[in-house]
Amino acid sequence: MVATRLGPAQSLITRYGPFVVLLLALAFPLGVNAYWVTVGIGILTFAMLGLGLNLVVGYAGLLDLGYAAFYAIGAYTTALLTTVFHMSFWATLPFAVIFSALAGVIVGYPTLRLRSDYLAIVTLGFGEIVRITATNLGFTGGPNGIYGIPSPSLFGFQFFSQNSQYYLALAFVLFVLFFTRQLAHSRLGRAWLSLREDESASEAVGVPSVRVKLWAYVFGAIFGGLAGAFFAARLTAISPDSFTYTQSINILMVVVLGGMASFPGVLLGAAVVIGLPEMLRFMQIWRLFVFAIGLIVLMLLRPQGIWPAASRKENPFGPGQAGKLGPPLPLDALRREETGGEGAALRVTGLRRRFGGVTAVDDVGFEVRRGEICSIIGPNGAGKTTVFNCITGVTRTDAGDVQLDGRGLNRRQPHQVVAAGLSRTFQGIRLFKNMSVYENVLVGMYPHQRASVLDSLIHTGRQRREERESLLRCQAWLRFCGLEEQAGHRASELSYGDQRRLEIARALAAQPKVLLLDEPAAGMNPSEKQSLMGLVRRIRDLGVTVVLIDHDMNLVMGVSDHVVVLDRGRKIADGTPQEIQADERVVDAYLGRDEQTDEEVGAWPS
Amino acid sequence: MSVFVQYLVNGLTIGSFYALVALGYTMIYGIIRLINFAHGDLFMVGAFAGWFVVGIAAGMHLPVAVQLLLALLIAMLAVGLLAMGIERVAYQPLLKASRLSILITALGVSLALENGAMIAFGAGFDTFPPNILPLSGFQFLGAQVGDVQLAMFVLSVVLMVGLYLFVQYTPVGTAMRALSFDQDAARLMGINVEGVVLITFLLGGSLAAASGVMMGLYYTQINFMMGFLMGLRAFTAAVLGGIGNIPGAMVGGLLIGVLQSLAAGYISSQWQDVIVFAVLILVLVFKPTGIFGERVVERM
Repeated sequence: MVATRLGPAQSLITRYGPFVVLLLALAFPLGVNAYWVTVGIGILTFAMLGLGLNLVVGYAGLLDLGYAAFYAIGAYTTALLTTVFHMSFWATLPFAVIFSALAGVIVGYPTLRLRSDYLAIVTLGFGEIVRITATNLGFTGGPNGIYGIPSPSLFGFQFFSQNSQYYLALAFVLFVLFFTRQLAHSRLGRAWLSLREDESASEAVGVPSVRVKLWAYVFGAIFGGLAGAFFAARLTAISPDSFTYTQSINILMVVVLGGMASFPGVLLGAAVVIGLPEMLRFMQIWRLFVFAIGLIVLMLLRPQGIWPAASRKENPFGPGQAGKLGPPLPLDALRREETGGEGAALRVTGLRRRFGGVTAVDDVGFEVRRGEICSIIGPNGAGKTTVFNCITGVTRTDAGDVQLDGRGLNRRQPHQVVAAGLSRTFQGIRLFKNMSVYENVLVGMYPHQRASVLDSLIHTGRQRREERESLLRCQAWLRFCGLEEQAGHRASELSYGDQRRLEIARALAAQPKVLLLDEPAAGMNPSEKQSLMGLVRRIRDLGVTVVLIDHDMNLVMGVSDHVVVLDRGRKIADGTPQEIQADERVVDAYLGRDEQTDEEVGAWPS
Repeated sequence: MSVFVQYLVNGLTIGSFYALVALGYTMIYGIIRLINFAHGDLFMVGAFAGWFVVGIAAGMHLPVAVQLLLALLIAMLAVGLLAMGIERVAYQPLLKASRLSILITALGVSLALENGAMIAFGAGFDTFPPNILPLSGFQFLGAQVGDVQLAMFVLSVVLMVGLYLFVQYTPVGTAMRALSFDQDAARLMGINVEGVVLITFLLGGSLAAASGVMMGLYYTQINFMMGFLMGLRAFTAAVLGGIGNIPGAMVGGLLIGVLQSLAAGYISSQWQDVIVFAVLILVLVFKPTGIFGERVVERM
């Protein structure tokens, strides 16, 4: 077992590394000739682009092959506004940002529902459309582009010399770095990572996936446009040749080669992708060939990138962090205040779902009373998981009605169902594997967090307060599920039973009225099952209504107040565990007669 | 009318070259979920291999038909083997890593092939010997159809049908289809996954080479960057047809060829790629899985 605390060398690097790099970057132009300063500006420009694309590819996991389009839109905006309307460079920046953001929405909105590989070709096509349009239109200067763009100036100072432009580029990089990091360390950043890890699980725990993806796209576009504006003003001339598909690919290389979702990685990636070919100039025509071979070898040796993002985090609740966060919440704080109301917590009526010719769920209806533990049992193929999927909006229903606390849930998307107060776990564990344990739980809190996108961008007081409160609640939920010690671990490092419990903690973090557990005991050994039964009871005692599917009869009969039995898509029995065990039809169908041993009954094949 | 038919004929000829390359994209994507960015460059290497063989064979004063046959077969074999080598060295070790890292090695391979070809053959254009192909032809619905055009189209269709039959009716083809559904299950059934992947690259590479030789002969000029645009258009064709779907890639290729020919003819050749991409985006927005793609059902 590796210690969760970072080693002393690592913490030295994380603490002082950025300052050392900044000092080196500041001193760089003083130690080299003008040619290398130009290369340095190129590296910084690609660092800006890489940081922007990193939000799209590294964080949200959306493959974008046409990112240069936003770079182009920013550059052309600044070029046209300065040359035609004689605006100053600084005054054009808001327009560059707005136009590229708009372009991001226009491409993103209709296409973000596509699977990622299709998105790749759509973005590629968009990139080509923008470039060819710029090449063929008159007002963009055609293939020759636009000349005579004034260099930026500030308080009478002209950014004319190579060195001054280098420092301006550095300032831009620091600006972009600051805001992309703010976004990454926010509710939005975590939601992006969860989408990259498992999009449908993310939606099912409450993240509105399409909207969150669109924001990734828009912010990527904004930073790309900003880099374009800088590029145009620095070169004072632009042409469509600077915004080819090859450029998009170079920017992508910066992100993947450096290490996805890793800020130091992106900066390093920019240095390698732009700097290395320059260093290889002495090889003349062999230069790019050698670079290509180097790229392949590097990727084979370090598939995660040169400086991959750490997926194991320091435990935010560990001994080293005491005092920073404030005193832990008492577990009582997790209790649901009674939300009154008469009637059932969950009422399902006439639910029906067909897959092709098979009716998986046929006219199923049942009621779950507030505060009870209800089990749904039945053999494989009885339609149990389909019922869950219909209730949670994962699959469309053909007919029927689902009410949570008297409010209809029909035709809602999964994330809206979670926000309404119903969350779930999955039959096959679907954690965000490469995120830490506590981040998994924080993603579960998404529906209840109120920080806006602007809050996330500038980390307002409100946002910081909410983050601290979320962390405290996260700590309480992890303690409740017995996982506080492992909070900093990567989710995939947990043992099987712990992964199941983390899924429950993540679902609980949404503060559900009703919690659906899909085979929580599958694959657990008897002692793990015992502790799971205890956990389910404690969840119920918090005031959360629990509906669970399981095949383990000891668990189901021991823990449930109420059992619903399905067979071939229909409900065949509904009652207390005693009634179910005595029900002739249920006994005939599955529980079996006395000649079967308990083990056989208890362990239906799953 | 006759002009329209003429555009159609030209479009189908080019489209059949696209389709052959698109098949490689779609097969490789189908079994290892990789957009093989180097695939367009294999097409380019095929064109150069064909050019090289024709040059030698012409020096030996072989009959033209033999020259062409040799060029086609040797180019297909050489590029097929090259594709296998690339898969073994640059892709196989990364099959278990993140899908983006293998994408970057594919980009690296693409860059290496382009620059390798530039070092070997120069940065300018190379030309096939003039008048190597007959200029004869015939009238069809008012359009002029070259015998060469027809022969190339027929050869492309024969190769495509051959591939389809191979994938549908041979044990290796069945294994390829099994792999595309579930690699682990295929492995458990005793399928030699690595071997089948290599054969897929062999087939994809050979088809791209055949396309390259034909395209080179058709336009007579070849260049180390010719794989780039071809790759872009063939990939588009594969997605348009529904990536992973073999008949889809064939239809997609032909469609892109026809669309491009019509756009260039009726509107402007400057805008032809814009029109192609715009159509692609519209198709995907309304039919997100391409023309023949099936909806992937996700299990919870």
